[in-house]
Amino acid sequence: MSDIHTLSGAYALDAVDDIERVAFARHLTECPACAQEVAELTATAARLADATAIVPPARLRARVLDEIGRTRQVGPLIPRPERATPAARRWRRIGVAVAAAVVLLAAGGGALVQEQRVRDAQRQAAQAAEIEAVLAAPDAVVQTAAGPDGKGHVTLVTSQQRDESVAVLGGLESPGVDRTYQLWLLRDGQATDKGMLGTGSTGGTMLVAGVRDEQQFAITREPAGGSPTPSEMPPPVHIQLT
Amino acid sequence: MTSPRPRVGPEAVEPPGLDDLLRRVARGDEDAFAALYDRIAPRVYGLALRVIRDPAQAEEVAQEALVDVWRTAGRYDPARGSTISWVLTIAHRRAVDRVRSEQATADRTRRAAVSDVAFDEVVEEATARFEQQQVRRCLGSLTELQREAVDLAYYHGYSYREVAELLGAALPTVKTRMRDALIRLRDCLGVSFG
Repeated sequence: MSDIHTLSGAYALDAVDDIERVAFARHLTECPACAQEVAELTATAARLADATAIVPPARLRARVLDEIGRTRQVGPLIPRPERATPAARRWRRIGVAVAAAVVLLAAGGGALVQEQRVRDAQRQAAQAAEIEAVLAAPDAVVQTAAGPDGKGHVTLVTSQQRDESVAVLGGLESPGVDRTYQLWLLRDGQATDKGMLGTGSTGGTMLVAGVRDEQQFAITREPAGGSPTPSEMPPPVHIQLT
Repeated sequence: MTSPRPRVGPEAVEPPGLDDLLRRVARGDEDAFAALYDRIAPRVYGLALRVIRDPAQAEEVAQEALVDVWRTAGRYDPARGSTISWVLTIAHRRAVDRVRSEQATADRTRRAAVSDVAFDEVVEEATARFEQQQVRRCLGSLTELQREAVDLAYYHGYSYREVAELLGAALPTVKTRMRDALIRLRDCLGVSFG
C-alpha cells in the first residue's frame, strides 16, 4: 500500500493541507479503488454533521435567498473530447476548488500577507490568480521536502507548461530576527534570485516563474533584504526539477 | 437503557427528493432552492457552528456555503457522492478554511486549550433524533484514540499534522487512525456507495 493511499481518512475529514489535497485528488483519478473508498469515507464523515444539526436563525434564510437572487450560477462542465480525458477534467475541477481554498488562505493568513499594505492588494490578487492557475494546471507535479534541520515542510507544485512553480513553505525553523528565507533556482552552479519571505517569517506561499530550464529549486537563510548569491552552499533545502 | 433499534440504511437518513431538488436548482429554480434550504440549512449551520464556534462567523460561513450550493449546483456529480454528502463537504471545507485562516494569523494559544476539550461535548449535543443517536452509538464504538483523532479533525478543523502534535503521536499513526476510524464508522452506520 503506497504512502499516499493511507491519506484517505485525513482527506475525507478535510485534515490535509491544500497541496496534499491536490496531490491526493490526482491520485484518486489513477486509483478507482481509492476513489471508491474515499467516496464512502466522505459520505461517512458527512454523517458526523448529523450530530451537530441546529436550526439557524431565521434571518439566515432571508439573506441566503436574497443573495442567490443576485448570484449567477455556473454552468455544468462540458466535456471537451478533443483534449481532456475524464480524469483530467475531474482533476481540473478539483484543482480549481483547491486553488480557491489556497487563495482564501493566501488572502486571509500568514505574516507575509499581513505585512502588505492595502495598495498591494491588486498585485496580490493577480498573483493569487497565477497561483491558482499553476495548481490547476493539468501537468502540475507536486514535490515535497523537509525544511532546514528537518523542521517544517516545503512543497513545490510545478507546471512545465506554464513555466511556473508555486512554493508553499510552512512551519520552518525561525531564520532569526533579522534574517530571511530566500528562494533560488539553480542551473550549472548559477543561482537566480526568486524572492524571499518576510524577515523572520517561517512560512508563506510564493510564485516562482521561469522554472523550465532550471535544475534545482533551493532555499537558503540570508540576512534581511536578501543576498545577490546564496550564502549557504549546498543549500539546506533543495528540490530537483524535471 | 437502550432498546434495540431497527437497522436503518443511509437511504432512511437522507429523505428522498434532495437529488430532485438539486437538479431543479441547477436549472435556476429558486423555489426548489428554498425547499432545499429548509432541508439542509440546519446541518450546514450546525456544522459551521461546531467547527467555528463563533455564531456570527458560523452564520457567515453557512451563508457562503449555501450560496455555493446554489452557484455550483450544475457541477454536482452524482457519481462522486450523494447530494447531502456533497453539500456537507462544501460546508465543512468552508468552515475549515475559515478556522485555518484565523489560525494562520492568530497566536496558536487555542491549541493549548483544545486538548482539554472533552469528547463528551459532541456526545451531549447529540440528542433526540435517531440519526444523531446512531452517530453517537457508532462514535462510541471507536477506540479512544480513533475518536480523538476524528473529533479534532472533523469538529475542530485541525489538520492531521496538528492532530499529531496535539496527541503527541507520529504522523503515520494519526493518518492510519483517521482512516481506521472512518472505516469502522462506515461499517457501523451502514454507509455504502456505488
